[in-house]
Amino acid sequence: MRTISRLTAGTALALALALPAAAQQAPAEPAAPQQAAAKAQQERAREQPGNNAPVWREVRSGQPNYTSIPGRETGVLIQPQARFPGQEAMSTAGEAWRNFRNGPVTFYGGWLLVLVAAAIAAFYFARGPLMLHDKPTGRLIQRFSVLERWAHWTTAIAFVIMVVTGLIILFGKHLLLPVLGYTLFSWLTALSKNLHNFVAPLFIVGLVVMILVYIKDNLPGKGDLAWFGGALAMFWSGKHVPSGRFNAGEKAYFWVGVVALCIALSVTGVIMLFPNFEQLRTTMQQMNVIHSLSAIVMMVLAMGHIYVGTIGVEGAYRNMRDGVTDETWAKEHHRYWYDEVKAGGVDATAPPPGAQAPVQAQH
Amino acid sequence: MARMKFLCDAERCIECNGCVTACKNENEVPWGVNRRRVVTINDGMVGAEKSISVACMHCSDAPCMAVCPVDCFYRTADGVVLHDKDLCIGCGYCFYACPFGAPQFPQAGAFGLRGKMDKCTFCAGGPEADRSEAEFRKYGRNRLAEGKLPACAEMCSTKALLGGDGDVIADIYRERVARRGSKGAEAWGWGAAYGQPPKGAGAPAPVPAAPAGGKS
Repeated sequence: MRTISRLTAGTALALALALPAAAQQAPAEPAAPQQAAAKAQQERAREQPGNNAPVWREVRSGQPNYTSIPGRETGVLIQPQARFPGQEAMSTAGEAWRNFRNGPVTFYGGWLLVLVAAAIAAFYFARGPLMLHDKPTGRLIQRFSVLERWAHWTTAIAFVIMVVTGLIILFGKHLLLPVLGYTLFSWLTALSKNLHNFVAPLFIVGLVVMILVYIKDNLPGKGDLAWFGGALAMFWSGKHVPSGRFNAGEKAYFWVGVVALCIALSVTGVIMLFPNFEQLRTTMQQMNVIHSLSAIVMMVLAMGHIYVGTIGVEGAYRNMRDGVTDETWAKEHHRYWYDEVKAGGVDATAPPPGAQAPVQAQH
Repeated sequence: MARMKFLCDAERCIECNGCVTACKNENEVPWGVNRRRVVTINDGMVGAEKSISVACMHCSDAPCMAVCPVDCFYRTADGVVLHDKDLCIGCGYCFYACPFGAPQFPQAGAFGLRGKMDKCTFCAGGPEADRSEAEFRKYGRNRLAEGKLPACAEMCSTKALLGGDGDVIADIYRERVARRGSKGAEAWGWGAAYGQPPKGAGAPAPVPAAPAGGKS
């Protein structure tokens, strides 16, 4: 319960970041519970002189007390007790965070990434890419507008930079440090931190634009449920389930990955990136945990997305690179969309500028 | 070999902030950083006020050391936890993890960009050559190399703050607690810093070994 309310507080704080005047710390007027604790100590000191248990209880609560030292949480002697999921006992919040980050996040997160990458590789070598059944017609349809491609690639390139630098920050100590040595690894990690922090705003801008331009065609539509049923079979047999401009798998990636996880990553990242808004350590620990977990799940999804967008599906990469696709590709992969385009319901047939069909079709 | 520890006696600390001042002066700590601070609980409440001086406790299983992405922390033969500012990338993880709020970051740029972490060194300097100019500039005085103990504890007017070999200061404190009738026996922070069974998380850490003949 307490954790949930803290998480909510964290999210509210993210909103408050927009307001410069937000989050001023309360003045050092003793709050009601502290008054009560002081009374308890006064009584205890009368009954059992030298017994300071009420004071230590107050200290452990993590409430700020008086100090003449300016700064955030300087009046907190020791971080309050906390427990992250899967932890048996309470410990100080910092210790709980350390155990969660260095434990499950690093261990299971790391192996999950390795296993998913291995599974994709195994699938590729066992089954190979999904090929077109018919010959390309050479007639091109516009699949992605210039804005859509710019939004995609801005976000995608920023995302890859964030992934590589984030992985170095989380796993580099175990994997790279023994190879590179302290000096070089520190230089690389400092570079990673700065890239991570300074590419983040670009990622967020790209993300917002991308969500806006792609949201319309990612709303649930006909055939989505049927697609999920046939999706696995499709990868193995090559038998397609008809879909609209985006199939249900792409829509799931959009809503779960791009919208939910990437927004979570952005919000938690911004809270950690700007520590000058009076965020407390507890908030930052929780943000860090949400950030790492979201990032690992997002990387897993992105590996699948990148696979089917490049080597996994013949012709898929060119769609996003050039913005055009062959009619055969459209017909086989997105039958409903193809029909719509052919019926003139979608303005996609206009040859995009710079698409020299015969030359580019050879890619 | 000594195992250096800090111990603050809440029955004796009078919140004079002499330790804070001594530390700032001895180490020429940059503006905005306070390696040591005094916190007063129940400030101004007669009979309930207690003060504690706190800095890096040089933990046995230091969380800062465990979470550092570049592994810039190290422990000296005396058990002092130090760090290498040349390796530090200013990520702030040690500041998230430390129970005592010891690691601090001088702001190095706009938007709260963190500089190199700074914290109490137990007056033991850093990885540079002992008592060198570079060591002093980055970490402050290396009093241990001069055969002295930390300035804060040496300066303490009521000897509330003890700094030195854990066995020695525990003995001093044990004797002190026995003399005052087993009162105020808690060695605050020792459980979190130097290890106590996790089951005791709910109870204040007692002084190692009960004082002989003390009342319960």
